[in-house]
Amino acid sequence: MNHSAAKTILIVDDEAINRAILSNIFGPEYEILEAEDGQEGLDRIEEHSDRLSAILLDVVMPHVNGIQVLRRLNQAGLTQSIPVFLITADEASSTMREAYELGVMDVIFKPVVPYMVRRRVNSVVELFQARRRLGAEVERQREELLLQAQQLAEMGMGMVEALSTAIEFRSDESGEHVRRIHDITCLLLRDTPLGEGLTEAQIKLIGIGAITHDVGKISIPDAILNKPGRLTAEEFELMKTHTLRGAELLARIPQMREHAAYQYAYDIALHHHERWDGGGYPHHLVGDAIPIWTQVVSLADVYDALVSKRCYKDALAAETARDMILEGQCGTFNPKLLECFRQVEPRLRQFYNTAQGGQDHG
Amino acid sequence: MDEATKRSLAQAGVDVDEALERFMGNESLMLKFLLRFPADENFSHLRQAMAAGDAAGAFAAAHTLKGVAGNLSLKGLCQPLHPLVEDLRGGNLAAAAEKMPALEAAYTQITDLLAQLA
Repeated sequence: MNHSAAKTILIVDDEAINRAILSNIFGPEYEILEAEDGQEGLDRIEEHSDRLSAILLDVVMPHVNGIQVLRRLNQAGLTQSIPVFLITADEASSTMREAYELGVMDVIFKPVVPYMVRRRVNSVVELFQARRRLGAEVERQREELLLQAQQLAEMGMGMVEALSTAIEFRSDESGEHVRRIHDITCLLLRDTPLGEGLTEAQIKLIGIGAITHDVGKISIPDAILNKPGRLTAEEFELMKTHTLRGAELLARIPQMREHAAYQYAYDIALHHHERWDGGGYPHHLVGDAIPIWTQVVSLADVYDALVSKRCYKDALAAETARDMILEGQCGTFNPKLLECFRQVEPRLRQFYNTAQGGQDHG
Repeated sequence: MDEATKRSLAQAGVDVDEALERFMGNESLMLKFLLRFPADENFSHLRQAMAAGDAAGAFAAAHTLKGVAGNLSLKGLCQPLHPLVEDLRGGNLAAAAEKMPALEAAYTQITDLLAQLA
């Protein structure tokens, strides 16, 4: 693990004898770079900053002195990654104080005592190496944890989707319905002004909410769910309760309640049959009292129902479905929502390019 | 380096063992810098600055000379040099001037010897 070949020390000193002594001490273990004054030192550091293990810096030098070099390294943040040692003949405390404040690791007095300077420099170099290794290890573990969290989230999503699909199967609809509502909702939020102010993360959560919009249908008897033809008024009243039951169901699952998607999923399950003019159910909400994401899911649900075959109806052509929605035959929608829908509707047809031509298999 | 050389270096105030340790036992490297010492210009700079009454220049030269002498373990030279550096740090030219003759003597002794060895 000890890449001794990669260890490099830079010696910055205007006196040849000082460079020779330090070079002689560290030569066996390190590759040595030398600079004869502060400016040359800064140039070497700029060239080799990624492979320097330590910098040994004299204080009194012509032109650019050691403290000036140190200030520049401090400004560039390099004293954090490369240990700097001040080599000085002076014990002037003001210089030392400033040097420590600027981030030197140690101050070594001249004339140097080899075994001491070697021990002190090597200890710090090893510390920095260990710190770098540890940092890389922490980073690797962090990535691993993120990946695991992502896998868990995907698994959770898979469970939610499986549950929702199972419920859809009861009403003779394929799992693709759930998937398509998700895709249409996300497309409308991502690619039209409807999603303004929403982040990609929020749109993903709304997508989960779109998937669970009909979970309340689990509480509706098969006879009503799969009844060919019109429901009686009484049957329809019961059918309408799937919105309330869906929200209740979601609220009862602790894992769902704590999920970031919950606030969206709850509202979508409860209000995806509301209409802009208050003509929907269960709460007859009007206008923007219905959150925009729930409005989008409502429209996606209607569109998908129209272009798919259901037990009580045949599949309609996309153009017909679009016109019926725009003309208000399926209830009143937000005009802004209708305009966005009108513009992207041709793109929604991509979600129906299956062998069944968009029809459910039954 | 033979014993006779070591002895005469010691007589001229050089702590040979300490210097050798600083050069990690590298005798030829130590000798190279020892023999180069008479050519070091810091002493003549010090002398000139003292004569000109230039306290700052004298301090700079004396300070650098102290570093070189320290590295070579020229104890005989360091002894009179250290208090002189401190005088000059405080800008006290008169006190420094009083110490110059002793320093001159030590300097001459070591450089004469080194010139013979070269």
